[in-house]
Amino acid sequence: MRISAFGDAALFLELEQKIDAQILASAVAIADAWENGEGAGEAVPAYASVLLRFDPLVLSPEAAQARARLIAEAQREVPRPPPGRLIEVETRYDGPDLAAVAALSGVTSQDLVELHAGREYTAFFLGFMPGFAYCGTLDPRIVAPRLETPRPRVPAGAVAIADGQTAVYPFDSPGGWRLIGRTALRPFDAAADPPALIVAGDRVRFIPV
Amino acid sequence: MLHIIEAGLRSTVQDDPRRGRARLGVPGAGPADPPALAAARALVDEPDSAVIEIVGLPFTFRCDDRRIVAVTGRDISVRAASRLPGWMGFAVRPGESVTVLGRARYAYVAVEGGIALEQVLGSRATYLPSSIGPLPRILTTGDALPLGPSWGDPGRAGRRLPTPAYDGAIPVIAGPHADRVPGALATFLSGEWSVAEGSDRMGLRLAGPDLAWEGPDLLTCGVLPGAVQLPRGGAPIVLGPDAQTTGGYPVIAVVASAALGRVAQALPGERLRFTVVTADRAAAELRAVGAAFAVI
Repeated sequence: MRISAFGDAALFLELEQKIDAQILASAVAIADAWENGEGAGEAVPAYASVLLRFDPLVLSPEAAQARARLIAEAQREVPRPPPGRLIEVETRYDGPDLAAVAALSGVTSQDLVELHAGREYTAFFLGFMPGFAYCGTLDPRIVAPRLETPRPRVPAGAVAIADGQTAVYPFDSPGGWRLIGRTALRPFDAAADPPALIVAGDRVRFIPV
Repeated sequence: MLHIIEAGLRSTVQDDPRRGRARLGVPGAGPADPPALAAARALVDEPDSAVIEIVGLPFTFRCDDRRIVAVTGRDISVRAASRLPGWMGFAVRPGESVTVLGRARYAYVAVEGGIALEQVLGSRATYLPSSIGPLPRILTTGDALPLGPSWGDPGRAGRRLPTPAYDGAIPVIAGPHADRVPGALATFLSGEWSVAEGSDRMGLRLAGPDLAWEGPDLLTCGVLPGAVQLPRGGAPIVLGPDAQTTGGYPVIAVVASAALGRVAQALPGERLRFTVVTADRAAAELRAVGAAFAVI
């Protein structure tokens, strides 16, 4: 574990440098515990790290570091959370990168669809844009590195894969993941409660239609 | 009502950043130049009000009734019944048109009563990329924004605040991934940088020494405005208020909170330098910025 400054109003707590459900559970538990403290701001857990914001007018950097260390040590052996809700994403597998990813992976397009739709994923955390859930992990037979040059516009509802992960784009945006399909679902609606369709911990399954 | 006569290019309603939804991937948004927003609010005595962030001057508006108004930003001035400086509260008569002039990348208009809009996800700030906020789009000519109640106290006009310095080296704190790209932070600090094309509220793109790097990717992690990210191509990006909540590039430095506005206001062609400070020193600067507005 390593704690370093992330500017004057946040700390960066790095647990490991790998994707692992137990490490992620610790990161989430640390984030939850941090946000309850005085002078603490939002915490953002990701695969193996937590960004811990604080108000530098209330908490000194040293006090913040000391608190982060205490919390992290207490949350090292947290139980894995129970399985989350199951979200089903009806997907039309007609993305512009489907054939290319299949070729890279040495399988047919139909095989690729079966590999992608054939397992249940976990939503690890949300980031990149509102409602964008990083889900994984892909069958290791799927070879899908990020695009060398991101597309200037990926449409909302695109089902995408990259580096062992899969996600649904909630909004039109630039994007470097490979597009294999699309869904009519829109994963983020500011007027809904909760606004995000898929939240961290949910189970996600893609249903070919 | 506040009526927009000349809207600028990408002007929006802004407020304190949206907090508490970073785990849903929702960026804070809020002002690109936080001290300028805070000053504008203080000058009209509306410390929590929603304001207009102008991008692309000139910008012209009028109000239906008499209001105290303040305009802040870098190198701005105001043309109303007479020519006025920025960073001052002044009374505007009903229907009198007010034009904000200058070369600021970002300018702020705060109005007595505040812009009366409902919060969306805890803030009235506009996040354009996902259309989040009570008025989630670029303001256009002909827009009429509702205002809160006015106080009708003429004694509140005429308050002034000193224009902060927008030049000088930008203070940064060494970033959490500085050691992942050996030598990059040292070159970043010794080099001279200019603002490149494509800079916006998501990020300020810098052009200068080549910091291209090779090596394994980082795991995606949480980031925040002010982070200096280094993509493989070697051109650093200083994240802005609309930056995404997570990123995958090494963060070699983070701009001190008190200097976020200064870096956001950097003009095309202007030379920028960065200098390392301690987190304690950065916190002291932030305290000083806040104290400047508390005295009026």
